[in-house]
Amino acid sequence: MATFPLKIMTPDGVAFDGAVTSVSCRTINGQLQLLARHIDICTALGMGEAHIKLEDGTVRRAACMGGMLSMLGGECHLLATTFEWADAIDAERAARSKARAEVLLAQKNLDKRDMQLAEARLRRALVRSSVAARKDI
Amino acid sequence: MAGSMKEIKLRIRSVESTMQITKAMELVASSKLRRAKERVEGSRPYFETLYSTLYDIVSADSGFDSPYLARRDTNRRLYIVIAGDRGLAGGYNSNILKAIEADAEGAEYCVLPIGKKAVEHFERRKAAILTTAFAEAGDLSVSDCFEISRLVCQKFLAGEFDEIRLGFTQFVSMLTQTATVLPVLPFDAQRPEPGHERESLMMYEPDGKTVFDAIIPEYLAGVVYGALCESVASEQGARRMAMDAATKNAGEMIDHLNLYYNRARQAAITQEITEIVAGADAES
Repeated sequence: MATFPLKIMTPDGVAFDGAVTSVSCRTINGQLQLLARHIDICTALGMGEAHIKLEDGTVRRAACMGGMLSMLGGECHLLATTFEWADAIDAERAARSKARAEVLLAQKNLDKRDMQLAEARLRRALVRSSVAARKDI
Repeated sequence: MAGSMKEIKLRIRSVESTMQITKAMELVASSKLRRAKERVEGSRPYFETLYSTLYDIVSADSGFDSPYLARRDTNRRLYIVIAGDRGLAGGYNSNILKAIEADAEGAEYCVLPIGKKAVEHFERRKAAILTTAFAEAGDLSVSDCFEISRLVCQKFLAGEFDEIRLGFTQFVSMLTQTATVLPVLPFDAQRPEPGHERESLMMYEPDGKTVFDAIIPEYLAGVVYGALCESVASEQGARRMAMDAATKNAGEMIDHLNLYYNRARQAAITQEITEIVAGADAES
């Protein structure tokens, strides 16, 4: 299959730089997959699982949150706030963070801001643990 | 004479111990500098691509409008100021604070200080402070920068501030660091004339405005994080230089004091000999 260059960048550095046959991630509009020779596109990312397919068919999965995906002149850039490969996710930490957020959300007297923060934490934890749990694929 | 010899000896010893401290600080700063420099280099590509994409969206398409683009009459400005947590870094802290003062001359402004020195400075000047929740520049992480960005964007959209500027120290090289004030919001870009749109084949999903509005907070957080990395590297660079100069000065001072010490020692010996000779003369 045709490949295209993909560069995944986060504020902490470059997470991936190489040729892939496809990249898929969760955008603000839902899951989106790009293949080689896609039209120029630019969209913002939501929180969810991202996977890329390398030339030899191996699939690498990751938890990807916030940022931007763009394809310009055949080159793809994925700028993520956090991007963690499935094998690098600390599942225990995610579970702990999920439990903490659930305890917080169970309280009734949260103000709006704390509520949003706890919800965002819960969502991040859920994404991480779901990505980490599907190690088989 | 013997008294002044002892004094000089004590002085030399105290300068020597100061020199040891400055030397140790220099070594610590250079090792931290190396790490900070790697962090700066790591964060640059992310930030630059983000900026150029935003710029492309705005300059190619006049068909949308966003509150982040609207220029308002500048009444209230917010400065995000990044300085250090500690002193003894040459002109690092005073340069950035002076740059802010010069830039804000005459305008009504509010600050969001990052770093203990910045907090202290603006508290002393009784400036309006948005929050001091981010006083420790050293421990700020990416998620703190997102927190800052969320807060600032919210205030900006609510119309509490008309302009957001970021003051930080740019890490030019190991030897040069420049205090810079950068306007971040409203987003500054060349808009095409209405009707004279450049033909852009870029597809925005779902549309340009939504993408732009979703990316701006990311961009702001990215800018703050990038500036923070630059500032931390600059602080270490400035401290290394200052401590290097202090160590050199201490070395020179010790050389001088040694000269005085030897002079005093020789004078004491000469005096002793004179006394002995005078005594022997008196006996014979």
